[in-house]
Amino acid sequence: MKTINIEELVKDGAVHGDIYNEEEIFQLEMTRIFEKTWVFVAHESEIANPGDYKTTVIGEHPLIVTRDSDTEEIFVLFNRCRHRAATVCQQETGNANFFRCAYHGWTYSNNGDLTGMPFQDGYDEHFDRCKMGLIKVPRVGIYQGFIFASLSEEGPSLEEHLGHARPYIDYIVGTGPDGIALNAGAHKYSFDGNWKLQIENTIDPYHLSVTHRSFFNILSKKTGKKINFNRMHKSEKIRDLGNGHSLYELGGDLGIGALPFNLIVFPNLGFLGSQVRVTRPISVNKTHVFLYPIMLKGVSVEENAERLRKHEGFYGPAGFGTVDDLEVGFDRVAEGLKAKGPDGEWLEISRGMNREEVDEQGIITATSSDEVSARALYKEWKRLMTAGSIS
Amino acid sequence: MNTVMVERKEIEDFLIHEAFLINEEKFSEWLDLFTEDGIYWIPSNKDHIDPNTHVSIIYDDRERLEERVWRLESGLAYGQEPKSRTRHLITNVKILESDDQKVVVSSNFILVELRRSIQTIWSGRFEHQLRSQGGTWKIASKKVELINNNEFIGNLSFIV
Ligand code: FES
Ligand SMILES: [Fe+2]
Repeated sequence: MKTINIEELVKDGAVHGDIYNEEEIFQLEMTRIFEKTWVFVAHESEIANPGDYKTTVIGEHPLIVTRDSDTEEIFVLFNRCRHRAATVCQQETGNANFFRCAYHGWTYSNNGDLTGMPFQDGYDEHFDRCKMGLIKVPRVGIYQGFIFASLSEEGPSLEEHLGHARPYIDYIVGTGPDGIALNAGAHKYSFDGNWKLQIENTIDPYHLSVTHRSFFNILSKKTGKKINFNRMHKSEKIRDLGNGHSLYELGGDLGIGALPFNLIVFPNLGFLGSQVRVTRPISVNKTHVFLYPIMLKGVSVEENAERLRKHEGFYGPAGFGTVDDLEVGFDRVAEGLKAKGPDGEWLEISRGMNREEVDEQGIITATSSDEVSARALYKEWKRLMTAGSIS
Repeated sequence: MNTVMVERKEIEDFLIHEAFLINEEKFSEWLDLFTEDGIYWIPSNKDHIDPNTHVSIIYDDRERLEERVWRLESGLAYGQEPKSRTRHLITNVKILESDDQKVVVSSNFILVELRRSIQTIWSGRFEHQLRSQGGTWKIASKKVELINNNEFIGNLSFIV
């Protein structure tokens, strides 16, 4: 086995191909990133009613996000029976006051408390039922209806973690007269490549005029206006918001959705078009992606339907944009990464390093064809991956 | 409108012909099978949804369907480079409703797709609404209920 030295895999303006390929690095990402930082688990609208729940994961840990039937408090619980580890909830979403393990019948209320087991005679006073509820994740935080959890007892608060991304989340929530809801289902797609490829691709305007040329040809035929990408990239901005988050400010309507920006919230949450995007690492070379259309509360059915149609036009497993990203941005990159010539294992993310500006808040800005976002991602990635390292 | 018996055989032949056009990559001819207000629909997550309140994998009106076909023939649709080779097997054809103007027909399908040296089996149920127009049937709506519409699926840029 080759020894991994994280320090050497990210340098100024370049990352090494191993970060997408090495199983050992993937395992480190699970423990040093996904088990340390804040990870989005649900939006309140997905569990709107008392007793509603949703199953999800952080890293490789299966979880249940519940809304208590009585208090309506939100809990994030490990989906693992305290008896002999069977998952107690199998559904993606639902409503239940209790989760009953189908193996030996231990039953938990939706706040996690163990409420009963069949044939209790085998346990004496040393068995403390109060301590045998479903394990709660160490920390839960809610920002503007977005529920995050952290598997780490310590670390920055959710507010601190979101940092400069907060005003943009505020903006998104404010786009509906009565707020927003993620209640229109989801696009779900998969690719055989590393999860970071999808994060990088979430803010990468440099590829728009190339990979998505056919989409923009169709768009300009429809609108009668041709997008001048050269001019666009000169005026639009990308910002490194800190903590791994980044922002792309669109200069005009690209026909892909309602938001005037793309926002990446480290490590795996995105807001773009009219969607919330969740990227789920499955293994070093397998990734699942959820796209949840953002529905506006307090507008007509027609207006939300129009958002859905626009979203489907570019995004999802058959959208004109996503399918070309799947092929070019993921499949071809995964294939190309296997070529490992001498000195040929690095990927360039240096574009625009020479024209970055830093403001008094520390926000780094360059133009929209620049790889500011990838650099923001890997700065935080490296920080977390090397923090508390044993080697 | 009179209720007339539409021969299942006739409708089955139509579905076979449609699949033939897709499998032979005669996409413009396939497009011509649709009415001017035709819909090509693949629901997301479950079979029965309201497309106005729930996202679809595809909800193409005629305009977007034309764009889809244009893309497939433009040489710029990277999602189809390399192309998918497909073969449909269509069975269990059942007429659900019919009169002399309109037929609703249900069928099951297996679709074998080969792309990037990977052979994938897709399956589900079609529900076609056919309308009689100038002596022939046209597709007013084609709904595809994929059995894996709630799974994490790969590149679906070919025609189902
Ligand atoms: S594993 Fe759950 S009751 Fe035994
Ligand atoms: Fe893209």
